[in-house]
Amino acid sequence: MASFDVMPDIQLYQPVELDDALSLADRYGDGGWVLGGGQDTYGWLKDRAKNPRAMIDLSGVESLRGIRETDDGIEIGATTTLHEIIRDERINRDFSLLAQAAAVVASPQIRNVATLGGNLAQDTRCWYYRRGLDCYRAGGNSCYADGPESMNREHAVLGASRCVAVSPSDTATAIVALEATMVVASASGERTITAEDFFAGPDTHITQMTSLEPGEILTAVRLPSKWAGKRFYFEKVADRDVWDFALVSIAVAMSMEGDSISDSRFVCGSVACTPHRLTNVESAARGKSLSEESAEAVAPLASAGAEPLNYNHFKLPLMENLVRRAMRG
Amino acid sequence: MEFATYKSDIWGREVIRGVSWDLLWLVVVAAFVAIALHAVYEAMRKRGDKPSSDGARVKRHDKIDRIYHWVMAISTIALLITGVLPIIGIEFAWLELHWIAGIVLTVVVVFHIIRSMFFKDASDMKITISDLKDPFDVANKPGKYSAAQKGMHLAITVLTLLVIVSGILMFAVIDTPWWERTNALSETTLGLVFFVHGITTLGLIGLICLHIYFALRPEKLFYTRSMIKGWISRDELDANHDAKRWAPDETT
Repeated sequence: MASFDVMPDIQLYQPVELDDALSLADRYGDGGWVLGGGQDTYGWLKDRAKNPRAMIDLSGVESLRGIRETDDGIEIGATTTLHEIIRDERINRDFSLLAQAAAVVASPQIRNVATLGGNLAQDTRCWYYRRGLDCYRAGGNSCYADGPESMNREHAVLGASRCVAVSPSDTATAIVALEATMVVASASGERTITAEDFFAGPDTHITQMTSLEPGEILTAVRLPSKWAGKRFYFEKVADRDVWDFALVSIAVAMSMEGDSISDSRFVCGSVACTPHRLTNVESAARGKSLSEESAEAVAPLASAGAEPLNYNHFKLPLMENLVRRAMRG
Repeated sequence: MEFATYKSDIWGREVIRGVSWDLLWLVVVAAFVAIALHAVYEAMRKRGDKPSSDGARVKRHDKIDRIYHWVMAISTIALLITGVLPIIGIEFAWLELHWIAGIVLTVVVVFHIIRSMFFKDASDMKITISDLKDPFDVANKPGKYSAAQKGMHLAITVLTLLVIVSGILMFAVIDTPWWERTNALSETTLGLVFFVHGITTLGLIGLICLHIYFALRPEKLFYTRSMIKGWISRDELDANHDAKRWAPDETT
């Protein structure tokens, strides 16, 4: 693959109105590259692994930025930076799970410019794919990461369908746990989708990480008050403490009645192409208290159905241990 | 417009990736142009009275063959829906449905081959010199199947066998409940397999469009009825077939 230190010759648009951005996204379709903080953009373009005709930079669109109260919770603009989320008082008070997840993304420098929308919609880190190989995800007819000699330590243990790449987003697990709604706009209007449906697996969208279609822009993320102020647990396991992607992460939202869990959402990251809800863990946790005994009872369910590849069997006990730690209280 | 698409393999060499799906629209347009031309030709052509479906009946298809035909039709349509819709942008979890339908098609085709070879008179479908004269001589009526029907059967047979063989090879390199995928095929071989699967699919789409069109034409509807109920009338037999070349049993 060719590698360059310079950007390719590409049209750059910096709209300041959302309508103009949508109009550009509509005009360029899949030839347009929408970016917020640009942290998962320049490498692709410099490596010539992606060759869009135009970049549509959303950082100047003021309406996409900021954290607003709504009738039922809060709405976070898609270009709100991770740093702004980490420092926001309302988020720290009511949805600290998201603040915790945002705080472990990459490094402080990156969090200062990286946006929530960009972090959620970022592409997978599978190095075969990012190297520019024509794998399934790139529109080809094979997977280089799932073979006897393939290096697949970071890849999926659940939900694979031909492609075994995982979602690298730290904030994705948190917003799925918080039952967020995604606001998606296009030239033809606006639609909302649940966070779970926003992330797309390879069985339906093998060349995309999200259900965003060409011409669509993620404009905001709405967090409902249902989980405001509830009990949360977030943990990310990576090879390094900073500037690294998760090997496995977990985001948990729990609603308590007295000492018992009345409702919960357990979501694992980096184990599947989408944030993976542990629904059997959620069912088993209902009515249980946070204790060592509950943790031991529930944790083994975390890896049910997992099909590890050659080099990522370690993810199964890691998932179980993260659930165990979340349930200890 | 190209027939195939290409990619770089892991060593950077250009290898075939598969068929160019731009051809899909060409095939669909070509099929509909052919259908439109034939429809206009038939509309301008003078025909005699339509033979009556009343009266004595003769058996055209055994029940087992009719069941085979419709199972094959349903599995083929399921394969086309699950295989082609994602290509034209209608996204859903298609892969499992696709290979399940593929297994059904493979099983019924194997069944049909065995039945045709050992339990039926396969000469019904053999294309002879006499068949080739049929289209040019109105007085020359066919036996059980016309030259056009035999030609359609031959074409669909060849394409279906190719699509099944290539499909089985593709099935071998994905995860299934019975085995884990392998990378046993080289990228070039895999690309050729994808190309064969794609180009035969395109051929089948064209032929199936024509097949459905002819099955629904007013003067051919009695054949479609016979594929459902098993019989045609004595009048329909006499009007369309040569009793010397095909003498079926009477039925109720």
